[in-house]
Amino acid sequence: MTDTVGKSEVEQTPQDYKPSIRPEEQRTLPSGEKEFFFDVTTSDLEVNMGPQHPATHGVMRVLIRCDGELVTGAQAHLGYLHRCAEKIGENVEWLQYLPYTDRYDYLASMNNNLGYSLAVEALMPELEIPRRATLLRTICAELNRIASHLVAIGTYGLDIGAFTPFLYAFREREWIQALFEKICGARLTYSYIRIGGVFNDAPPGWLQEVGHFCDVFEEKWKEYHDLLAVNHVFVMRTANVGVIPKEMAIDFGLTGPMLRGSGVDFDLRRDMPYMAYGEAHEAGAFDVPLGEGKKGALGDCWDRFYVRMLEMKECIKLVRWCLEVIEDGPIIGDVPKVLKVPAGEAYVGIENPRGELGHYVHSDGGKVAVRCRVRGPSFVNLAVVEELMPGALLADSVAIIGSTDIVIGETDR
Amino acid sequence: MEFQAIHDRLKAQGAPGLLGFDEPRPANKKEKDPGRAGMPFVTVDHAHLVEFLRMCRDDDKLAFDILVDLTASDPSADSEELWILIQLLSLKHKHRLAIKAPLPKAAATVASATAIYRAAQWHERECAEMYGITFVGNPDPRHILLPDDWEGYPLRKDYEFPREYHGISCE
Repeated sequence: MTDTVGKSEVEQTPQDYKPSIRPEEQRTLPSGEKEFFFDVTTSDLEVNMGPQHPATHGVMRVLIRCDGELVTGAQAHLGYLHRCAEKIGENVEWLQYLPYTDRYDYLASMNNNLGYSLAVEALMPELEIPRRATLLRTICAELNRIASHLVAIGTYGLDIGAFTPFLYAFREREWIQALFEKICGARLTYSYIRIGGVFNDAPPGWLQEVGHFCDVFEEKWKEYHDLLAVNHVFVMRTANVGVIPKEMAIDFGLTGPMLRGSGVDFDLRRDMPYMAYGEAHEAGAFDVPLGEGKKGALGDCWDRFYVRMLEMKECIKLVRWCLEVIEDGPIIGDVPKVLKVPAGEAYVGIENPRGELGHYVHSDGGKVAVRCRVRGPSFVNLAVVEELMPGALLADSVAIIGSTDIVIGETDR
Repeated sequence: MEFQAIHDRLKAQGAPGLLGFDEPRPANKKEKDPGRAGMPFVTVDHAHLVEFLRMCRDDDKLAFDILVDLTASDPSADSEELWILIQLLSLKHKHRLAIKAPLPKAAATVASATAIYRAAQWHERECAEMYGITFVGNPDPRHILLPDDWEGYPLRKDYEFPREYHGISCE
């Protein structure tokens, strides 16, 4: 196995080297001097971006081949953070696997818990999820989506040189983490959403504080918009860069903001609703923002970034709707301590902040899964980078990788 | 479309390699059927998998334009076969289809679906290193998550954990 990029790789040996200007072609300049040239070999340069590079947001290596400032090929090398999540899934009990789900997309752990719980619940048709649990799940998933998008936007600015928005973004994210800490005790790896419901009811005053957060966040949102989204330098760096046309997005199986950034109108929450999302959409609680090509071509880095910006606003609307309709009641269905899941197979995909998070679970009726497959959106979305890079400038490679908003914990699982 | 309608459409169109389908059903004690929970899927002959996928993508009524997931499963160590599991999604009609293609363990070779869905490429690379399935026609068949020199196929049920790796003890 060799580390070479691109398909038409030709080894350049000293024998086949021919200088671009041969001595017999040497011209005489108007001043009477002979034209001067160096006997230099030019060839493409291979640069390793990573494994430790701030723009890869984790441990990943992109092997970039460049001709001067122009990227001619790219190859992603993953696996540095591979922790055998799927193999572990086949060796621990159903409930014991839940904390492992926290750790693939560690910026959106609530959503991962939710995806896994829904997949296992799909095998248990008799299990009823109480309404309060469904709404608490929705609130937490949407708050976590905001937190995740804040990191995406903040670090994206950081990647291409805007330091300030990152600090502002972490200020609001901190508040969300404090809210989660109040409801489940953890700040990053929650394991809050369990099979059958949630494990802890909201403490007194928690829902009011979430409401207060929504009010404050809407004001802060305008700050991000002014600081970053319409910032001239930022727009210059992201508009018309890394353009993904609709057909390419569909062919590569992109989902989430990557797909909607290319103008494809599809959101699992609206189009194949699960939990209370169908009801929320009927009540007009959220819309699905799409990339429109406002600053450049449709499907460029700016569009993907802006879809995430607009999605945060929709999350706020959804959380507000949940706060309106939530009522007191039980928070978890009747789930035994040692869970035996009925035999069967199910695949459930949910809308994670990064796209469709799918879990395929196969049970033989026992305490342990036969197969626990995780379809991580980051893994699929990263594949398109190899296609986008050739032809881009070297400096834009950072903008392209940043716009895919990958989390290495999820690409490698 | 609901699952049954999708299956009927596939059958009416003469989908290549369609073997049948399986739906969740309650337990039936009289016939000693333990029942099955979960979701329905169609079974497809692995030799015709690529043509089957092409039809799923190109048929107007089905229009499965996104390959969401392609993976495999080893149902048990005694089993003679592996399953290839594919999840398709239609953006236009907003429906899904799960496909299962059994594959003999002794000759785990199947044609690559990369020509139909580019999304299949990385999934196939992962599937190949984890289950030892050869995808003929995959343009870049290197390992993806495991080191290049990794031996064995970790997600097979009969996989033995290595005692050491490059002189580092794993015990």
